[in-house]
Amino acid sequence: MREPSRALRAAVAAAVVLYVLPLVALVVRAFADEWRAPNLVPQQFGLRGVDALFSTTTRAGEALVQSLSVALLTTAIAVPIAWTAARAIGERRLRRPIPVFVLIALPILVPGYATGIGLSEWFVRLDLADTRTGLVLAHLTVVLPYVVLVLAAGFGPKVSELEEMGRSAGLAPWQRLGWVTLPAVRAQLAVACVIGFLVSWGQYGLSLAVGAGEPTLPGVLLPFLRRDQQIAAAVCLVYLAPAAVALLLAARASRSPL
Amino acid sequence: MSRRERFGGALAVAPAGAAIALLFAGAVLGAVEASVLPIPGEGLSQATLDAWRNVFRDPALGDAIRFSVQTTLMATLISAALAVPAALALRDHGPAVRSIFSAPVPVPYLVISAVATLWLAGGGLLERALGFLPFDVVRDQAGLGIALVYVYHEVPFLTLLILASLGTELSQREEAAAVLGASWRQRLAWVVWPVIRLPMLVGTLGVGAFVFGSFEVPLTVGPTYPETLSTLADDKLSGSAFDGRAQAAALLVLVTAITVAITFALVWLGMRRTRRA
Repeated sequence: MREPSRALRAAVAAAVVLYVLPLVALVVRAFADEWRAPNLVPQQFGLRGVDALFSTTTRAGEALVQSLSVALLTTAIAVPIAWTAARAIGERRLRRPIPVFVLIALPILVPGYATGIGLSEWFVRLDLADTRTGLVLAHLTVVLPYVVLVLAAGFGPKVSELEEMGRSAGLAPWQRLGWVTLPAVRAQLAVACVIGFLVSWGQYGLSLAVGAGEPTLPGVLLPFLRRDQQIAAAVCLVYLAPAAVALLLAARASRSPL
Repeated sequence: MSRRERFGGALAVAPAGAAIALLFAGAVLGAVEASVLPIPGEGLSQATLDAWRNVFRDPALGDAIRFSVQTTLMATLISAALAVPAALALRDHGPAVRSIFSAPVPVPYLVISAVATLWLAGGGLLERALGFLPFDVVRDQAGLGIALVYVYHEVPFLTLLILASLGTELSQREEAAAVLGASWRQRLAWVVWPVIRLPMLVGTLGVGAFVFGSFEVPLTVGPTYPETLSTLADDKLSGSAFDGRAQAAALLVLVTAITVAITFALVWLGMRRTRRA
């Protein structure tokens, strides 16, 4: 078996110090009912943080379901809308691409809270404020640009050539899509879905502005960061979990691109 | 490119472009309207610029602009300065090392803020381990904590962007320059820098815009005063002033205008440079 290189060992050591150690402390904090300074080790372990996750007063469970459903719905809507635009950008079919890029980049660069405050004015009139539909629409403003930009990298002359071969072989459009295009862009599609999901999952300001009445995970987490570190750590672990799962799934899906 | 192909390209962008334009333009118009109508739902005949006047008269505005610019510059410059050597060090290594290095990219900012508070706040784990805290990072007046959270998240992000632009061709050109007697400084300035300049600029703009409009990070690790523009807007919104919502909207329109202006200025500069080249 090959020995791991020095660089890999150094990277692992740096990752342990910078990433793993802080995360381990977060796990310990989530299960430390009593951890007073100056002690480096908790005085008492317990499940107060976990209990709070399932308690109706914290609304963490409700927020988890809400954040998950909003992120999944937003991504599911964003991908088909983004598909043709990503394709046109990837295949360089635009005469003036810069204005299109600027239009796509602006919602990403402008703070989500600013976008949310503006959208909430319309959502109140349309009865969309404090609703899941309102949250999905608002998240679409920032998720859609990311999905377009990431998905565009999957298209290009190689995919067009493969599709042309499929056409020559007599495949119907839906067969070309299922048997040629989707497998060819599978890796980039997986990455676009993960990024879309994570962008929606991490929105705080936007969600606060358009749906303060609807609990989302970051909305539940933030007050606890100031008030109760144990519950905050427990919510943080839940907040991290789908991101990790989504990354693993994307890594698996992208392992064997065409 | 034929006329039909060009038309097809524009048509293909239409669904996503229309959705983004509708939602984003709606958001900007909504914020502008909220800033001039203190009572929601009133007709435009009741429009007033009082909220804007109040915002510009507030001494906290100057401090918020200064603090937002300060944290943006700190986080962006430190991230860019660390990302270049990190990318150069990682470029000869495989996906395993790169994946380990880029682990913080998908982590939400609030989780990084939580970890920063746990370790670096007064009475946190670092102080317990060392017996003292060498510097104040969490809730410090200079905004170091805010910058640190962004540096932790954005250095791997910028590094990945730079790594994507470093191909094998660049190594060959560097080798050729070394054979011709160029020192590592000269190779960095004349061979590497021209290649990484554009992705660095684009990435740095993105990071800068993110930090400038930062909201949840200053709320968790930033000081109560001075505030960033977004947290000042949030204070106005939750405050007791009659036109608090209008003032918050005015501040957020201001942040949006600054971000849009910087984006357009950089696009214009980039286009001018391309035309000259």
